[in-house]
Amino acid sequence: MLDAFSRKAVSADSSGAFIGGGELASLKSFISEGNKRLDAVNALSSNAACIVSDAVAGICCENTGLTAPNGGVYTNRKMAACLRDGEIVLRYVSYALLAGDASVLQDRCLNGLRETYAALGVPTGSASRAVAIMKAAAAALITNTNSQAKKAAVTQGDCSSLSGEASSYFDMVISAIS
Amino acid sequence: MKSVITTVIGAADSASRFPSASDMESVQGSIQRAAARLEAAEKLAGNYDAIAQRAVDAVYSQYPNGATGRQPRQCATEGKEKCKRDFVHYLRLINYCLVTGGTGPLDELAINGQKEVYKALSIDAGTYVAGFSNMRNDGCAPRDMSPQALTAYNTLLDYVINSLG
Repeated sequence: MLDAFSRKAVSADSSGAFIGGGELASLKSFISEGNKRLDAVNALSSNAACIVSDAVAGICCENTGLTAPNGGVYTNRKMAACLRDGEIVLRYVSYALLAGDASVLQDRCLNGLRETYAALGVPTGSASRAVAIMKAAAAALITNTNSQAKKAAVTQGDCSSLSGEASSYFDMVISAIS
Repeated sequence: MKSVITTVIGAADSASRFPSASDMESVQGSIQRAAARLEAAEKLAGNYDAIAQRAVDAVYSQYPNGATGRQPRQCATEGKEKCKRDFVHYLRLINYCLVTGGTGPLDELAINGQKEVYKALSIDAGTYVAGFSNMRNDGCAPRDMSPQALTAYNTLLDYVINSLG
């Protein structure tokens, strides 16, 4: 598992170079934006249950066949598994956002997920749609533009790069399973 | 590669929980100290050659016959070059350690197995200690870097010196 800092060390070591000027500039901005990053991670972890259940409810509304017999989330057992997996994906995305690097998400969550889902017969279209809903919810929570946001004391656009980074991690999940 | 952030994430993952408030505090503490570490890394990246050269000179003034103790003085050039190459290698790993905020790079890429290698090559680890001690006493705040940055740098030099003892 790597973070934004050790990623630089690994890539510099492959060429035997010191880490200097330009490489350090991005890390300095990581540090200066550190509190925003922690707030963004907090926005995801504090609202995890809401983000996940909204996403699963969303795919069930959009595709009523899912809850019908032989559907993807027919029986409570499958529905519970779906909610659990949504939470796991969100948890690894929040780790990746905290680390500033996707390696934890790739190594511990996405590696082999497509094959697992294929073996279990999980409908990948619905699964990736659920992740896309989580992506939209996460972006809204990070930028504080969700419908129930407390609007005070937040500069608009201040966390746009972090919400973009979180979106890129959700995109990795979508491309890994679809 | 171990750092405060990866340790926190590893612990949270093994408990299957989201990053908690205390995890955030740990990361926040690491980020606060990171500015000094990165300053030291930047200064080191700019000056490593001169630092290594001074260390080589210190080694050869203390051990005129080189690290193996059987090198004729008139053939010292090659030995000095290898000595400097090694010091630059260690300084590069110290640079990585300053960036990552842990001793992972030094541990994984140098310290594991170093005693066995130096023993096999009949190199006296004391010569390296002489060079690193020179570096340890060479740094000066605020001439070279800020006091906090120098502390981070010296801590890693002490770590290397202890590993050679």
